[in-house]
Formats: sequence, C-alpha cells, structure tokens
Amino acid sequence: MIGIEHYIVVSAILFVLGVLGIFLNRKNIIVILMAIELILLSVNLQLVAFSAFLGDLVGQVFAMFVLTVAAGEAAVGLAILVIYFRGRGTIAVDDVDRLKG
Amino acid sequence: MDYATSFYFTATEIGLSLCGLALLLVAGWQGNKSARMVTIISVAALFGAAIFSIGLFDRATGEVAGRAFGDLYRADAFGSFAKVLIYVAAAAVLIVTPRFFERIDAYRAEYPVLMLFNAVGMGMMVSATDLMTLYIGLEMSSLSSYVLASFLRNDERSSEAGLKYFVLGALASGIILYGVSLVYGFTGSTNYAGIRAAFEASFSTGALFGVVFVLAGLAFKISAVPFHMWTPDVYEGAPTPVTAFFASAPKVAAMGMLLRMAMDPFGGEADAWRQIVIFAALASIVVGALGAIGQQNLKRLLAYSSINNVGFIMIGLAAATPGGVAGALTYLAIYVAMTIGSFTALLMLRAPDGTNLETFADISGLSTKRPALAWSLLALMFSLAGIPPLFGFWGKFVVFQAAVQADLVALAAIGIAASVIGAFYYLKFIKVMFFDEPTREVEATSPVSHWVVLGICVAIMSPLGYLLTVPLGEWTAQAAASFVAAM
Amino acid sequence: MHPILLIVFLPLLAALVAGLTNKAAPSVFAKAITTGALFVSAALSWPIFLGFVAGTYEPTVVPVLKWVQSGSLAFDWALRVDTLTAIMLVVINTVSALVHLYSWGYMDEDPDQPRFFAYLSLFTFAMLMLVTADNLVQMFFGWEGVGLASYLLIGFWFRKPSASAAAIKAFVVNRVGDLGFMLGIFGTYLVFDTVSITEILAAAPGMSGATIGFLGYNVYTMDVLCVLLFIGAMGKSAQLGLHTWLPDAMEGPTPVSALIHAATMVTAGVFMVCRLSPMFETAPVALGLVTFIGAATCIFAATVGTTQWDIKRVIAYSTCSQLGYMFFAAGVGAYGAAMFHLFTHAFFKALLFLGAGSVIHAMHHEQDMRYYGELRKHIPLTFWAMMAGTLAITGVGIYHLGAGFAGFWSKDAILEVAYGRGTELGNFAFWMGTFAALLTSFYSWRLMFLTFWGKPRWIESEHIQHSVHKTPEEAGEDTTGGYHPHESPLTMLIPLGVLSIGAVLAGQVFAPTFLDDAAFWGSSIFYNEPLIHAMHNVPYLVKYAALIVMVIGLVVAWYAYIKDTSIPAKTAEQLGPIYRFLYNKWYFDELYHYLFVVPAFWLGRQFWKIGDVGTIDRFGPNGIAWVVEKGSVGARKFQTGYLYSYALVMLLGLVAAITWVLF
Repeated sequence: MIGIEHYIVVSAILFVLGVLGIFLNRKNIIVILMAIELILLSVNLQLVAFSAFLGDLVGQVFAMFVLTVAAGEAAVGLAILVIYFRGRGTIAVDDVDRLKG
Repeated sequence: MDYATSFYFTATEIGLSLCGLALLLVAGWQGNKSARMVTIISVAALFGAAIFSIGLFDRATGEVAGRAFGDLYRADAFGSFAKVLIYVAAAAVLIVTPRFFERIDAYRAEYPVLMLFNAVGMGMMVSATDLMTLYIGLEMSSLSSYVLASFLRNDERSSEAGLKYFVLGALASGIILYGVSLVYGFTGSTNYAGIRAAFEASFSTGALFGVVFVLAGLAFKISAVPFHMWTPDVYEGAPTPVTAFFASAPKVAAMGMLLRMAMDPFGGEADAWRQIVIFAALASIVVGALGAIGQQNLKRLLAYSSINNVGFIMIGLAAATPGGVAGALTYLAIYVAMTIGSFTALLMLRAPDGTNLETFADISGLSTKRPALAWSLLALMFSLAGIPPLFGFWGKFVVFQAAVQADLVALAAIGIAASVIGAFYYLKFIKVMFFDEPTREVEATSPVSHWVVLGICVAIMSPLGYLLTVPLGEWTAQAAASFVAAM
Repeated sequence: MHPILLIVFLPLLAALVAGLTNKAAPSVFAKAITTGALFVSAALSWPIFLGFVAGTYEPTVVPVLKWVQSGSLAFDWALRVDTLTAIMLVVINTVSALVHLYSWGYMDEDPDQPRFFAYLSLFTFAMLMLVTADNLVQMFFGWEGVGLASYLLIGFWFRKPSASAAAIKAFVVNRVGDLGFMLGIFGTYLVFDTVSITEILAAAPGMSGATIGFLGYNVYTMDVLCVLLFIGAMGKSAQLGLHTWLPDAMEGPTPVSALIHAATMVTAGVFMVCRLSPMFETAPVALGLVTFIGAATCIFAATVGTTQWDIKRVIAYSTCSQLGYMFFAAGVGAYGAAMFHLFTHAFFKALLFLGAGSVIHAMHHEQDMRYYGELRKHIPLTFWAMMAGTLAITGVGIYHLGAGFAGFWSKDAILEVAYGRGTELGNFAFWMGTFAALLTSFYSWRLMFLTFWGKPRWIESEHIQHSVHKTPEEAGEDTTGGYHPHESPLTMLIPLGVLSIGAVLAGQVFAPTFLDDAAFWGSSIFYNEPLIHAMHNVPYLVKYAALIVMVIGLVVAWYAYIKDTSIPAKTAEQLGPIYRFLYNKWYFDELYHYLFVVPAFWLGRQFWKIGDVGTIDRFGPNGIAWVVEKGSVGARKFQTGYLYSYALVMLLGLVAAITWVLF
C-alpha cells in the first residue's frame, strides 16, 4: 500500500534534485530554469498528495495556482535569458559574474 | 459571504489592478508616446490608493469587519499602515524615474504599469491571512520585479541583475512553497487562523520544517543574512530608479509579510524561531556593515546599507512583542524616507553629458559644486548612521528600546556596538563630499520634481521629524495591536 | 527702562552687530557702532556714580530674566547696582570708550578691525556682567566671559606664534585660578545653600568660627571658602604664583593691554574680594594670605620691572605690582582704599599704556626702550601725557598742602592703613609697599628718561632700520638714521588728554568720598570705621614715606640714566647673579617649566605612548579597525558573483536553521 509517506519522500527527493540542479550545474542557465520547474513540481505533487490525504480541496486549488504562476515564471525567466544572451552572447553559468564584490 | 464588504476591503488592490490593466491597453495602443501620461496617472492612482488606505485604517478597527473573502485577506490597521508606506514609496520613486530613462531614450509606458502590478502584489502580501493569497501576492510582486531589474535591455549589467534576481528569487519561492506545502499537510489548513489553531493543538516536526522553510524564503525577500547574496549584485546592476524602488517599497512589503506571518500563525512558536531571527539580525548588521566598507560603487554601498538596516528592523521582530512590532514599523517608515532620499540624491548626480555618476570618485568635493545636494546627503547619511538629532536615530532608538524591554539586552548592546562600524561608511560619504578635492564636473541643476522628493525626505530626517514621533507612535502601536489582538 | 540695562546690553548688541557684519560692511561701520555704544554706556554710568557720591542714589537690583530653578538652587539674571558696581561702571565704561576711540588711530592699518572692535565690546559686556552680578553664578559667567575675551584679544594677531602661545598661556594659567574660584562657589553653595550674594553676605558673620572637614582635617569653613575664592582672584589679577601670563599677554595690541590688562579685567580679583568683603572679614587666615600674597607680589613685580627693556613689559610688571597694593589693602581690611587705588590706577595705568602705545606707534612698532631717546622733542603731547601718568603712579604729592596726583592719594592711603593696622603682617606689608614705591619711582623714571631724554639711539632698532632702509654702519654719526617720529593722530591724543585729567585730578576730587565717607559705601563693602581713624593718625614720617622714596628713586634714576649712563651696565655686571635673577623674572617661568610642564609632558607622553597608543589604540580602535578591515575584505571576497555560490549559501543557511530548530 502506498501511503502519504511515500509521496512526501518522492517530493522531497524531487525538491532536493531541483535544488542541486541550481548549484551543482555550472554549464547552462536553461538547466537552472528546468531545476526551478522541478522544485515547483515537487511542491505540486506534495500539495495534491496532502489534499487527497486530508480530504481537503484547498491543496488542489493551491496546486492550480502554482501551475499558473510557474507558467508565468518560466515565461519571464526565458525572456530575461533571451535579453541576457543578446547582450552577452553566452548563457554559461560561469560567465554570469560581472557583478560581484 | 458578503461580496460588497469584501470588495470594499480589497478596493485598493482591485482599483490598482483595473487601473494597471487600462493603462496597459493605453500603453499598447499609444506606444511610448504615452509614457509620461501613463506615469502621471499611475502616480495619481498610487496616491489615491494610499489615501483610501488611510481612510480604511480608521474604520478597520473591528477585527471581523476587516475580513474579506472568507478570511483570505484582512484589512486592518497593520495592513493600512504598510500599504500607505508602500504606495507612497512607489509613487515617490515613480516621480523621479522618467528622467533617468528618458536621457537614454529607454523609457517605456510599460514601466509604470509594472510598478502598479508590483504595488498590487505588495498590498496583497501585507494583508494576506492565507498562504494562498500570500503566494499570489508574492509572485505578482516578484515577477514584475524581475522584469524591472532587467529593464535596460541593452545594458549587460541590468540583464545580469535581472537574471540573478530571477534565479535566486525563484529558488526562494520554491523554498517558501515547499514549506507551505508541509505546513498545509501537517496542519490541514492554509489559513493563518487555522494554522495557529492547529499549532496550539499539536506541533509536529514536519510542520516545524515547514515553518523554517517559509521563514527562510521570506528572509530572502527582505535580504537578511544568509539569504542576502543577491542584493548587492541586483542593486548595482539594476537601473538606479529600480534600485531605489527595490530598497524601499518591497522591503516594507516583505517585512510586513514576515512580521504578520511570524507573529500571527507562528506567533505561538516564538521561542522556536527567535534564536534564528536574532542570529539573522546580528549577521545582517555585521555583514551589511562590513560589506559596505570598501565599496566604491554607491549603489552597491547602499545595498549593503539596506542589509544592515534590515538587521536593525529584525531586532524589533526578535523582541516578539507589540512594542517590537511597532518599533520595526517605525524603523521601516523612517528607513523608507532615508532610502528614497538617498537614491533621489544619487539620481540627481549626473555628468554634464547626462551619464550617471555612482561612485565615490564622482562625488568627491561635491560640496563646492552642489552645496544643497551635498548638505542634503549629509543629513541623510548622518540619519542612516543613527546620529542624533537626526530622525534616523529615533528608529534605532525604538527598536533597541523594544529589545531591552523584551530582556534582549545583549542583543541591543551588540547591535549598538555594530552600528558604530556602520557609521564608518556613512561618514566616508561626508568626508569625500566635503573634504576631498573635486575631480569631475557635475550637472549644475536638477529637475524640480527631484528636489521636491528629496526635500520632503530631508525634512523628515531633519530634527523636524521628531514632530512625527507622536502620530507615528500611535499609528504603529495600533498597527501592532491589530494582529496581537488576533493572536 | 532702567539705564543699567542699556549700559550693560548696548556693548553686547554692538559686539553682535559688529561681529556678525564683520567684513560685509566697511570697517568704519563696526568702529562707529561699537565706539558709539560705549560712549553712551559711559555717559549713562557717570550720573549713577555721581548719584552715589552725592548720596542721592539708592542701591537697587534690576531683574532681567529667570534663569535656574532646580531644587534649592534658584537664581535669576539680575543686575545689581550699588556703590561698588557704580565705581566699576565708570571705570570700565570710561576706559573702554576711550580705548575704543584710541583704537581708531592705533589699529588703523589692521585688516581685521571689525573683529577687533567686536571683541573689545564683547569684553566690555562680560566685564559689566561680572561687576553687576547679583549671584556667584552670574559673576562666574562674567568671569569666564572676560577670560574668553582676553584670550581672543591676546591672540588677536593669531598668525604670530608668540601671540597664540601667550593667549593659550593666559587661558591655561587662568584655568588654575578658575578651578579655585569654582570650588569656592561650590563650597559656598554647599555651606550657605544659596548663591545669592546678598544672602551669603548676610549669613556670613554667623558662620564665623564654624569648622568643616577638609582633606581629613578640621578647618575653619570660612577660611577654606575664602582661600579658594582668593585663588580665583589670584589667577585673574596675576598675583604671585599665577602672574606669569600677564607679561606675556603684552603680545596683544596695546589698546587691549590698556583696557584689559591694566584698567579692568585684572582688577576683577580685587573687585571680587571687596564684593565679598563681609565674608572675608570672617576668615582671618584667608585675609592674612591675601595681605601676604599682595605684599609679595607688590615687591616681586617691582623688582622685575626695574630690569626689563620692553616698554610694555615694564608697565605690565608695574600693573602686577600695583595690584599687589590693592590686595594687601584689602587684606588689612581697608576695602575702600583698595577700591580707591583700583579707581585711580585705572586712569593712570590706562594712560601709561596708551601713552606707550603712542610711543610705539611713533617708533614704527619698536618696543625696546634701549632704542628710544630724546623723544620729548618729537612727540611732545605724548610726552606730557606720559609725564602726567608717571607723576600719578609714583605718587607725587605733599600731605600738608593737601595736593597731589591721583596715585599719591590712593597709594599713601594704602601704606598708611597698612601701618595703622598695627599687626605684624600690616607692618610687613607697609615696608614691602614702601620699598616697592621706591622701585616704582625708579623704574617709572627710568622708563621716562630712557624714552624721552638722552640721545636718540633709534638706528639700533631693526624696526627703524627696516623703515629707513639703512644699517647702523650706513647711518654713521646720525643715530636717528634719518627717522622722523610722528605725533599720533587726534583719535589717539584725545583719550590721552582725558585720561591725563583723570590721572591728575581723580585722587584730589574723590579722596574724601572714597576714604572717609561711610555713607557713600553703604552696605556694598565691609567698612572698618576704627581702621580709618587709625589710618589718619599715623606718624608724619609714614605719611611722607612715599614721597621720600619717590624722590630717592627719581634721583637714582636720573643719576643712572642721564648723568652717567655707564652706571646701569656696571651695576648689572657687579651684581651679576642678582641682576640675572631679576631680569629673568625670578626664574618663575623656568621653575614652572621644570616643575609642571616637563613632568606633565612626561606623564602625557607615557599615557600617550604606553597607555593610549600601546594599549587602548592597539587593542581598541586600531585592533577593531584591523578586524573590520579584514572582515570587509572577507565580505567582498565572499560575494563571488557566481549564482551557484549564492544558492549554496542560501541552502547552507536553510540547513543550519533546520538543524538549529530540530536539535
């Protein structure tokens, strides 16, 4: 029988994978965007799981909001990435270091 | 559910949203020709919203009457106070914005629209009493902020600032969301009152995890150490008016949100998070002060300065008493005026060819060329350093007083000692402006609008500001009482 | 409105206007407004004084403002007008007005005239505040105010290092005295629970014989208080021990020396002792000290005065010596005589200083008397004014004719009263005073002979050489170097004339009032009726003593400086050690240097090197600054600019927070 614990563990693993994707990856910023999507995904999974477990609809409603916002976020993120690429001609993570100190 | 009442209490958000949508249409239709007009209407809308919030504040004394949409949203004295600050700050920044972009022909009609949506999001953040409302407000504000940071599309630094802000901001949102989902799962509610009730009944480790995640994510928004790393880079890279905005209104919103969250749903667990807040407060004060020393770029310096100031505000939170909350709000109000004044002065510094001056080398000997500007900056810097008789001292005084009354004497003592380090770079401003030899030409005049904003900020910071202590004290006390009563 | 308000506040108003407009207006504006204000004040002062002389004026207290209300400490700004105040009013305002006028000519070429006149008026205001004080705190305010003005005026030519140094010295030495004065005021408040002078004086006789624990000893309360107050007076009035600043103060412009360091400020100590005379009368030990210090200063300063070459320094030591007379007069209980000498001295000493200033002005700023000579033919008006002053200070007068110059009346009265007192200290003071009178006569006539008689020796002076563009060799036989001294302008001669009248007549006219009229003094000082009788009944030899020694001094001076000019050099050689002792002012400066300055510097250096730099700075400011600097470098390095490191820091923070909460 698959219980709530399994969902929590899976979403925790997904969350950690997403976070690791942000700071272990040193190549491509698009990978970072994907990692962010992964984090949101893990949250959604957890929300829906809790919703079903608690028999409460709020979690599912929340998940819908998160999905919507994630879409907007991805759009904004890609837009910024595009103008960054236009200016610098690169999207390597290691090159994003003009501002420091 | 009474929709009329609900709409009445959310009138500022709804009004600003509608206004934003309409202006977006205008912007789309008319293009950049309409930029000025859109800006003026936006400023008027923000002031209108601020005035409405003040009106709401007087009525919103009854707790129940302030609830909207089934307690997703609450209009109380706290929300009103924070919203007035947010709207006025946003409007003030918007007033001094156009000139900056117009010189390089980069001003667009979308800019004020983005500010309006940002203001809507911030208003929701400080009034939200449900994690869902909070999340929507937060994202609304954040997404428009990412765009604002990279608004100078052809400027590499601006786009890098936008990128960094976006990535780290999204990570912070993810952390908050993960915490929210845990809190929801372990308490069965996303409503503040429900969470509080559940916590009082029983308290699980999973929920504690959630609380820490949520608070950590919020700490990112107020740029408290160790979640501050984005701040200097974004402040330096973003266009100066955007930096001025980031340093003022969103700080109020994020701090308001954090205060409400920490004191209302998590208020019962103050002992669990107090140590973390104390650590973050002291770390912010010290790291902000240390980072600021040795900076040559004034925007970057002011970024560290804002980290430093956030530390002082968090001392008020660490006290976890009504007095502490009131002190933090007082400090916020004073901080916003100081920050907007400083950035306005920075915006007024230009080379004769119109390029912006933003390093120490540029302001050396400023007192001989722009004495009024130099003296205004002097007042603002002394105020930021918390030197009496300037009004900045009062902000520090009230938070330290609250800390001492909450038996956090050691915290107050360390905070006061650390503020001495901070005084160093504020005084460096003065040394450079008044005692160094002038090295470069500066534009001799500034627009009247800038002078008005700067003049008001300096007047508040001058000893005249102490006239405000009584109304400010009453107002913040009432604001703090609005959810201490709910506690 | 009471005229006293105008008298006191007009100078302040003038000082403020002149000081604030400074160079914005032509300097004649500042000069006119300050001088005008002072002449109005002076004109208003005389009727008050003459009213007291005629006995038609009642003492009053004019309230100005509420000042302090704190527990039992309560006092107001109030101006007290009684006989003592009235005397000081005429002295201060008359001399000040004349000095203002004199400065028109003397300071004519100075670029900072508005500042100078503003300071002068400010000084006058502070001095008036001092003498009209109704309570000790207000008196202290004036006391410090004149100290400040004195500092500013001594250092008026602040670009000259010696002037700055002299100003600081005057300030610091006065500080020592002021400490005594302050302790005296604190102690008085402690004992009497009030600072009102009227109440203190009323309560003082009752305290006679009371004792108090002080430094572990049981001592008489009033003696302690009066000694402390007298230390303050010593500082201000340059009495032996705290006198070292006065000769150096001659670095200031000459009108300043005349006003502050001869006629008014330095007499503040005497005034204070007289004002508090009922208090001092209950303190026999303190009075003894006053007598002794007065007499010692009197003789000390006179001996030094005989050897100095700088014309202003001679007069400065003379001032010091004359102040000694006033103090021992007060010490033996003849406060009226002390005030009388203060009164006459103000006229003739201001006259001598202004006359000296006129000589200096004529001699192209040369102050050394060795380079003068034969000036009576060139600047006759100045000569006659100086002559009047010299006759007054040496006390020329004949008892049986009942006629004499100002100094004769007052100085003789002091000597007689000291003798008439009949105590050992009184006799000591009498002999010291008489001997000092001999020396006074000698150095005064020496000054006159060197300056106005003999052959011109002008070409030796660097100032004159500078003026005529010649060296002594080039000038050859002509020791004038072709220099032509010029008589001073009218603005300088008028004050000399007015003061000459005072120097000649002030004693003759006012002697009966000051010395014998108990009703005149009223309750303003302690008036000792039997002592005055004793004074009038001393032997004739005592009455003629001053005249006799004056003639001796005159003859010796004439012989040494006119008849046979080789005598001074020979004497100096024969009496080498004594001469050097006197010439070097009894080595007081050197003594203080080794006794106080060197140890203070040593101690300061120890504190500085070991205490401050070695310990506090090293571990305090510098240590913290080092840590902060390293920290700031660290904070900047921490901010790498890489996204992943920022994210890592956030994550580490999160993990740390969770760990903290869970465990």
